[in-house]
Amino acid sequence: MNKLIMITSVALTLTLVAGCTNKSVVRYGDANAVETTNIDFGSTDLQKVAGEMTDSLLVSPVIGTLTANNRPILFVESIKNKTSEHIDTESITDSISTKLLRSGKFRFVDMSRVAAARKQLDYQQSSGMVDPSKAMQFGKQVGAQYMLYGNLASIVKSNQDQSDVYYKFTLRLMDLESGLVEWADETEIRKTKGKEFVSW
Amino acid sequence: MKKQTKQHPSTTAFNAVSLTKPVTLIVLLSAMLIVTGCKNIPPVTSGVGTDQIAPGQKFEKHLQVDNPDLGKKLHISDIRSRTNNDLLEINLSLTSTYKKTLHLQYQFTWFDKDGFIIEAGKSPWQPLDLHGMQTATVPGLAPTTKAATFKIYIREVAEQYFKFAD
Repeated sequence: MNKLIMITSVALTLTLVAGCTNKSVVRYGDANAVETTNIDFGSTDLQKVAGEMTDSLLVSPVIGTLTANNRPILFVESIKNKTSEHIDTESITDSISTKLLRSGKFRFVDMSRVAAARKQLDYQQSSGMVDPSKAMQFGKQVGAQYMLYGNLASIVKSNQDQSDVYYKFTLRLMDLESGLVEWADETEIRKTKGKEFVSW
Repeated sequence: MKKQTKQHPSTTAFNAVSLTKPVTLIVLLSAMLIVTGCKNIPPVTSGVGTDQIAPGQKFEKHLQVDNPDLGKKLHISDIRSRTNNDLLEINLSLTSTYKKTLHLQYQFTWFDKDGFIIEAGKSPWQPLDLHGMQTATVPGLAPTTKAATFKIYIREVAEQYFKFAD
């Protein structure tokens, strides 16, 4: 009888294992869909933060005045990451500056590529390889009028059953000449992770 | 597993005998039923939305419900539009008629005056938790000044579980 039970259980286990194996499947996903893999800062948070900040900047009355007859020149300083996570904040500012640029309301200077631009101008001016009449001149670049900068902060709390994370993203636009902050806004994200019974 | 099978050379003969016993038969049959029913059910990704609406048009005529289950719990109660700083701005009001929280995501799609899509594939789905019986108004702003019409779609946040087939 013991043998019978043992064999039956072995057979059952085999059938179970064979029938319910987790196969690894590769699929292309929707890069824009809401992603809830875990509680960490994710693609949806990045898209939400960048989208809300851009929208808020574009519809603010101050910006309406600034962009009425010209396209102000901006430079993105940086977003300080004050959270406990490693977050690529440059990716957030990249999204924001790309959206702003594509809206046709602003122009940007890119401070992260100054060295490369200088190297190219040096080559054009002093290598002797480039026709001097066609070489780009030093001292013709246009300076930024406004600086975009901000902070990303988080509050994380958790107990045995639940984790909760709160992100606050602040973005400001400063007039470089006067030092006045012309526009500021913040956006918040709250995410919770708890145990949920799976319903059959 | 192979080792275990080798330890019992009498397995084949034994199974033939045991299958005749009603108890074993029932156990085996039910196990097989469970196993064949255990599968990964893809999440429901249809929802409710609108077709292309131009500012000033009545939104009621453009509504479409692709997911009747969600349509019973959620309806689009208002859509307003205006031009702000040359950009098309939308306010979408969603009303829940369900007592529990709905975990939703919504997306705006923008089209120019010829009906061509603007910034294809760059409009992210935004998460929205709608509490029981709540009405929430969410904003949408066109990415460029070219936007002339828009589309809205709302669906539940997809959660994939291993379930027994319904």
